[in-house]
Amino acid sequence: MTPRRRTGLAESDTTTVDTPVRGRGRALRWVREVGWRHMAAVAAVLFSLFPIVFVVSAAINPLGTLSSTTLVPTGAGFGNFEALFTKTQFLNWFINSVAIAGTSAAVGVFITFCAAFAFSRLRFAGRRAGLISLVLIQMFPQFLGVVAVYYMFSSIGEYYPAIGLDTRLGLLLLYLGPSLGVNTWLTKGFIDAIPRELDDSARVDGASHAQIFFRIIAPLAAPILAVVALLSFIATINEVLFASIFLTSSDTKTLAVGLFGLLQGQRNANFGMFSAGTLITAIPTVILFQFLQRFIVSGLNAGAVKG
Amino acid sequence: MRIRMTGVLAALTVSALVATGCSSGSPEPDSTQPGGSLLIWADDQRAAALAPFAEAFGQENGVTVTVEAISQDLQTNFVTASQAGTGPDIVIGAHDWIGNLVQNGTIDPVHLTAEQEAAFAEVALQAVSFDGQTYGVPYAIENVALIRNTDLAPNAPATIEELVATGQALVAEGKVTNILSLQVGQNGDTYHIYPLFTAGGGYLFGKQANGAWNPEDVGVNSPGSVAAFTKIRDLGEAGSGALTRSISGDNAIPTFTSGGAAFLVSGPWAIADIKKAGINYEISPVPPFAGGPPASPFVGVQAFFVASKGKNKALAVEFVTNYAAKPEIQKALYEANPRPPALKAALEEVAATDPDIDKWFAAGENGTPMPNIPQMAAIWDPFNKASAAIVGGADVQSTLDAAQETIVEAIGS
Amino acid sequence: MTIDKVAGAEGATLPRPRGSAWRPVTPSTPRGTFVIGLVVKIFALGIVGALAVAAAGPLIAAQEWMWLSLLVVTTGLIFYVYLSPRRIALKYFVPGLLLLIAFQLVPVVYTASMAFTNFGDGHRGSKQEAIEQIQSSSVRQVPGSVEYGLSVATRGDDADGELVFLLLDPSGNGLIGDAEGLRPLAPGSFTASGTRITAADGYRVLSLSEASLRSEDITALVVPTEAGAVRANGITRAFEGRAVNAYDAGCDCIVNVDTGETWTADNENGSFVNAAGERLPQGWKVNVGLRNFAVALTDPRISTHFLGALLWNIAFAALSVFVTFVLGTACALALHSDRIRGLRIYRILLVLPYAMPSFAMLLVWSDMFNRDFGLVNKLLGLDVDWFGGAWSARLAVIIIQLWLGYPYMFLVATGALQAMPKELVEAAAIDGASPWARLRQVTLPLLLVALSPLLISSFAYNFNNFNAIRLTTDGGPFPPTDSTAGATDLLITYTYRLAFGGSGAQAGLASAISIYIFFIVVIFSLISFRRTIRHEEVFS
Repeated sequence: MTPRRRTGLAESDTTTVDTPVRGRGRALRWVREVGWRHMAAVAAVLFSLFPIVFVVSAAINPLGTLSSTTLVPTGAGFGNFEALFTKTQFLNWFINSVAIAGTSAAVGVFITFCAAFAFSRLRFAGRRAGLISLVLIQMFPQFLGVVAVYYMFSSIGEYYPAIGLDTRLGLLLLYLGPSLGVNTWLTKGFIDAIPRELDDSARVDGASHAQIFFRIIAPLAAPILAVVALLSFIATINEVLFASIFLTSSDTKTLAVGLFGLLQGQRNANFGMFSAGTLITAIPTVILFQFLQRFIVSGLNAGAVKG
Repeated sequence: MRIRMTGVLAALTVSALVATGCSSGSPEPDSTQPGGSLLIWADDQRAAALAPFAEAFGQENGVTVTVEAISQDLQTNFVTASQAGTGPDIVIGAHDWIGNLVQNGTIDPVHLTAEQEAAFAEVALQAVSFDGQTYGVPYAIENVALIRNTDLAPNAPATIEELVATGQALVAEGKVTNILSLQVGQNGDTYHIYPLFTAGGGYLFGKQANGAWNPEDVGVNSPGSVAAFTKIRDLGEAGSGALTRSISGDNAIPTFTSGGAAFLVSGPWAIADIKKAGINYEISPVPPFAGGPPASPFVGVQAFFVASKGKNKALAVEFVTNYAAKPEIQKALYEANPRPPALKAALEEVAATDPDIDKWFAAGENGTPMPNIPQMAAIWDPFNKASAAIVGGADVQSTLDAAQETIVEAIGS
Repeated sequence: MTIDKVAGAEGATLPRPRGSAWRPVTPSTPRGTFVIGLVVKIFALGIVGALAVAAAGPLIAAQEWMWLSLLVVTTGLIFYVYLSPRRIALKYFVPGLLLLIAFQLVPVVYTASMAFTNFGDGHRGSKQEAIEQIQSSSVRQVPGSVEYGLSVATRGDDADGELVFLLLDPSGNGLIGDAEGLRPLAPGSFTASGTRITAADGYRVLSLSEASLRSEDITALVVPTEAGAVRANGITRAFEGRAVNAYDAGCDCIVNVDTGETWTADNENGSFVNAAGERLPQGWKVNVGLRNFAVALTDPRISTHFLGALLWNIAFAALSVFVTFVLGTACALALHSDRIRGLRIYRILLVLPYAMPSFAMLLVWSDMFNRDFGLVNKLLGLDVDWFGGAWSARLAVIIIQLWLGYPYMFLVATGALQAMPKELVEAAAIDGASPWARLRQVTLPLLLVALSPLLISSFAYNFNNFNAIRLTTDGGPFPPTDSTAGATDLLITYTYRLAFGGSGAQAGLASAISIYIFFIVVIFSLISFRRTIRHEEVFS
């Protein structure tokens, strides 16, 4: 087995680099190969940012309101941030959200990965049906299920108060429910792309399925696992519907529930605080993304199987 | 490298699990009392206002009182939770929930002494009665009024026509952008348009002989309502432009506080923002149309309800009928969230220090308690949309006929 | 049927036949890993066993034998799966499968089962609950009766003893009330202060704190009197009241004892109805069979708009997927080069919209499309009444969808591009294909194959994307003469309004309609799957 060549990226890499070119030609080539990428990216970034700039402006505006007439704040200050930490249980919400979303992302990735591996590498009865059922289950409108979920957890709570209503652990379990379904397809597609020759030869060397799973596929699938972790983190940290009926005492609430509560009844008065909270909510996601980028980008370079 | 990835994953899982395990296992911070416990649900704003008094009640009597803020759909969540047996003992909400809460068997009537009843403002008591019983203990009254920027409009307009004329003059001078800030939005707002609707002679439900609402008599396309909406249409986008769908709940108050309009139709909840913006303001009743009947805003009453399926009903009743009905408490709740208290004694007391209170109360004098019958739920959506369409210039008669039909059908089903 | 056909295709296209199980090979693997694996496995199973034992405790205590046997069977299954050398696939599925069944499948099935009932506002509990509620909410004070000051007390000296009411009437007479009735207390045998008795011979007066622990007993204690019964009104007061409405099992009806009016039980609809056809507000839940399904098909309010809403719904979901996919992939392709400086920064900025809480951003966006105050019109110098016109509102919601959703597509496309076998692209380059041709003929098809299951699930998600409409246009704009179906209404928002906009939520009907919607989405998805699943083996 040969270590994979350190492949750079798709198209541009393969053009001959050695040909000497003169100044203007090089500039042109730069524009053709790299420059347009910058332009496209900048355009997309502008589109991404402009509503967010508005949120920033509302967050630092002492009179933070929801009237979106201007991008430039009429005043600047960190009063809204301060109020958020002093007048609400924001820090509590923040810790809860990060703990729940972090755990559900980590456990969820593992479950997704296991299932995707089995779907990709093993053949068993009901494989096709299972794959399709996973998608179909997701199609049932979730908001109708709230009542069912509530009844269910209120009876669970009678026997096991630790995972009943108004507990973070219970909510975590609820969030783990769909983790088999949502991202299994995505991960499976990725694992399908990992050459089977790798596990075949490992098998010949005597590796068990678990060893192939952990030692060969896992490192190679790192990029997609990172993406899945991020997706599930974001989905969990933004979930309001179930969290708001599930969590009632102020020390168990998550960011989404707490922030939504700020808008109830006092939408205008609290919009500045709400905006500030929204911005802070995005921070853990950005940090996680920043951390996971390494795996996403370097997956193929670093994960190569050597010898 | 290979081990590390799985190692990281596993360690992350375990540590995060442990972290949640620990945090959920941490002891409850509030001081536990030897006696029973009481759970109160309210929305975020009221929960914060109530928490200190609930605590005081607990300390005084040796019981534990917990106030929880339900951030979304308090009414629905309360009904669901009650049915599941995990609901609170007391819920705080608006009086117009009563019909729905009763039909779901989630609240009990409260029995006030004649002396207690006499202490409440009449409109408040009227609002919480349903089917001949009193279903809650009111603590605050709220209604909309006309708020004006006295720098721009020193005098209260006597009629809507006068208001429009003043507003138009200000727009012409370039001092403001809108004649009036009254939230309509793309899908309408029954609550805020209702004073104009009644000033024009319209009505939603008729009354039965005993004064209760009559769900059989829906007046949405009655001649009075058509006349009212014809006037509203003239104020709308096809007329003077005093009403526009661009003004919604999101921007009505900011439009006023930023000086974009000299007049605002809103409630006591707007005052905090107006003061923060440093606007000189005055509150007066929403004026009538020239020669028409007085405008009658909806009066909303906030009340304490006793949950039927609460675990500690005796204590809940005690809290609601004896503690929450004390003037000190109502006054304190006013201080946390300034709107007129429902107890006359408390009302007088706060009116002495806050001149706005009397004005709010005066603006609500002609008001109608929001109907608390379950059939009211059928009104909101069609009526909202009809009012938005007419403000946008739609034909009055056909729009109201369609709304009437939808409402009657929904009530019948 | 589709599935069968596809499954057949699998065997044919599979490059090499594979056994149904992984054939274990005699281990020549390093001993260390094997031992570690074993230890981890045993440790994990140990935890499962411990959890199962802990979980059994409360079930045994409550004598819930059915749940207990379910627990035993599940635990046994877990042990079997992980200790048996076979069942390899199940080893990878069990944790996820258990969670899926418990926390997703069960709620879905429960919800679907509501479609066969009239569950909704006014019809939530049992008939018994409704009767109790009707009776207790009709308790009125007996006219002319007095209010009592109440002291909750026990006989003897034990705070947990038998409960009695010590009552003080307004003229200062003491009374004792228990389940037998009301008797006077001998003057002098008690002391009173204010409106209440503070001490009485032979009784222990409970403090409010002590009494609050006996709440259920206090509520249950009804002291019969001639005109009705004395009941506690809280802990410090009592009144003489009488239930005006009483249930009569003989006629299965509610009788008003004052007026004689009767409401007879309508057991098919779960309500008590009087001769005039008026219902008591409190009803109960009954099974209605297929009625909700029939209503959904025959109600003209539903059927007239169904087709229009369905068409827009499909367009909305398809467009949402399409535009996000195009922009997301375009960005991923543009950034798919290691020669770009600031790549990480670009990626972070592009993902930001996805990191922001979506409900907050939906509110912000709906404001930005305001005609007079919105940022969109201000920045572009337009005067478009975005949410006022049908087509502009549709365009606006798609733009919002694009903004919210394209970072997701960007992320997964980036991931998929990384996975793409470089050899293929390189081979095409060596063959002299232009970059555009390479993109069209190699990269895009591969990307589509890799992402198509995702596109389908994204379609399904957007098909029911309730918040995207509810928090922006809320279905609007509506034609003036019709408030039930708006230009941007999805089936789900339309259903919601229908089921929850009338006089009380009709969850049963909503559930029936969503089952119809579910089948529509399923059919669409299965058709799409037939195409993609053939491509599925391209990579293997």
